[in-house]
Amino acid sequence: MTYLQLAPVHGEPRRYGITHVVRAELVKLFTLRSTFWTLLVTFVGSLGATVLATSSAGHHNRGWYQGFDPTNQALSGLLLGVLAIGVLGVLAATGEYGTGTIRASLAAGPRRRLLLAGKVLVIAAVALAVSEALTFSCFWTGQAVLAHGGAPTASLSQPGVLRAVALSGAFLALLGLGGLGLGVIIRHTAGALSTYVGLTFLLPFLLQRIPSQPGRFTPVLLLANSVSAVAPQGPHVNAGVGFGLMALYSAAVLVFAGALLLRRDA
Amino acid sequence: MIAARGLSKNYGRTVAVHDLSFEVLPGLVTGFLGPNGSGKSTTMRMIMGLDNPTAGIALVHGCRYAELRWPLREVGALLDAKAFHPGRSAYNHLRWLARTNDISIGRVEEVLDLVGLTAVAHQRAGKFSLGMGQRLGIAAALLGDPGVLLFDEPVNGLDPEGIRWVRHLLRDLAAEGRTVFVSSHLITEMSLTAHRLVVIGRGKLIDETTVEEFTAKNTANAVRVVTPVSRSLVDAVLRAGAKAIVEDGGVVVVKGMTSAEVGELSSRNSLTLHELVPLRASLEEAFMALTADAVEYHTKERSTPPTATLASEGAGIYEMERS
Repeated sequence: MTYLQLAPVHGEPRRYGITHVVRAELVKLFTLRSTFWTLLVTFVGSLGATVLATSSAGHHNRGWYQGFDPTNQALSGLLLGVLAIGVLGVLAATGEYGTGTIRASLAAGPRRRLLLAGKVLVIAAVALAVSEALTFSCFWTGQAVLAHGGAPTASLSQPGVLRAVALSGAFLALLGLGGLGLGVIIRHTAGALSTYVGLTFLLPFLLQRIPSQPGRFTPVLLLANSVSAVAPQGPHVNAGVGFGLMALYSAAVLVFAGALLLRRDA
Repeated sequence: MIAARGLSKNYGRTVAVHDLSFEVLPGLVTGFLGPNGSGKSTTMRMIMGLDNPTAGIALVHGCRYAELRWPLREVGALLDAKAFHPGRSAYNHLRWLARTNDISIGRVEEVLDLVGLTAVAHQRAGKFSLGMGQRLGIAAALLGDPGVLLFDEPVNGLDPEGIRWVRHLLRDLAAEGRTVFVSSHLITEMSLTAHRLVVIGRGKLIDETTVEEFTAKNTANAVRVVTPVSRSLVDAVLRAGAKAIVEDGGVVVVKGMTSAEVGELSSRNSLTLHELVPLRASLEEAFMALTADAVEYHTKERSTPPTATLASEGAGIYEMERS
């Protein structure tokens, strides 16, 4: 018996490409329980936090509602989503490094930029879909609870509300991509997650006392004070600028991650 | 076909692989032999494009690994026993691998069957024993029906039946015209499986040869003789152009003569013999002697290199044949 190289099938592409990488990454993501747990925690946690935040805003006197932003109040539960979507991104990378799967990935598809691009596309798509579903769920749940408590409510038809809700979802997806980048850079789940939590939740506290308030440029405050608000809250930047900054942060982390991925031994 | 040209890898100041050049030809099982820590895995990772060489180049089918069009259909590799996520089933592990290279799901089931994992294909791979993990790795290597196969210590963790299965598999794959490159630190395993050998120690090429040549070259015959007239025997042996080593208690080890020749020699010279035993260096001992200088991590027991003196060579390398 003689081994023969398989003849190329007619109409088949000449080389593996991004579509193959994306298909493989989708299988990888959805064949792990951790994915479902992460997504479940994202939903339950954020919705729970939303219910708490909005019910605490009910039954106050008229004066209390001066400057009250029902959209922002309903979306404040997303802080838990920030954590969970970061875990999703981080695990997509560190799950491979921790187990040696990365070597199988690079053996099956040695072009490293393509591998990272595939992961970015899949995490972006999944995180965006989940985050949008989440932000809209939080918004409607929050409004229902506010109405029940006799507080002012918002609707998507009001100016700025749809923008705040939709952009908050996209903002979460960007955070997921940032997590992915950190995972590729740090390669260890614990280290990458600590770094992620440090950058998102700890950094604003550390910067709190600086007079120029650089804390408002940190991801969580960009989300809480600018992007998820119809009426900007506290120290803030413009919502569009805030979203752009977050996109820049994630892009920078991913570019650095890509450079390291190319250079390092797997 | 695989070609390494001047392949070198340094980790900081540590030289893992130094100026390694060799070729692995199709249709044969080529054993990649070296003690633990001699750079076998590093070399294989460089061939796979996983580690960047400090110098030199590794080519598969004449191109770098990263240039392969459908990597899994051209090269299959088992590099570490557990290169899969413990939370994913064997089936799903192979399924994502198949997706990367447009390989059919039917082929996934085929290789699962081939390695005998069909029954446990939907269990989480984290529950697998080392041997089952090894089988999954072999299934992944065979998934794309590739013409070039690399196996890093494939029999690790396998039971005797599994070891026999791997030996046959490697030979069959080579017989089909594929290039099969398999590493091991066990010469006995390689002598049963491989046709050709690439021998390395401390990251340097020691020999590139066939198993037959390696055996012939490194397992010279010797004869152990016990005689009350050791002096006379040694004189006779030296006159006959062979070598002799005198040990305690009238024991003489003769090198370069068969036991028949020694017997006839002593008969001609009327020398009394009490014992005449043919000795043969085992392939294992020969390999250890050959790579002794190149072993990085000596155990205490082996603190004296066996090749240092003829006397210790006589004592250390030769063992009784079928005693």
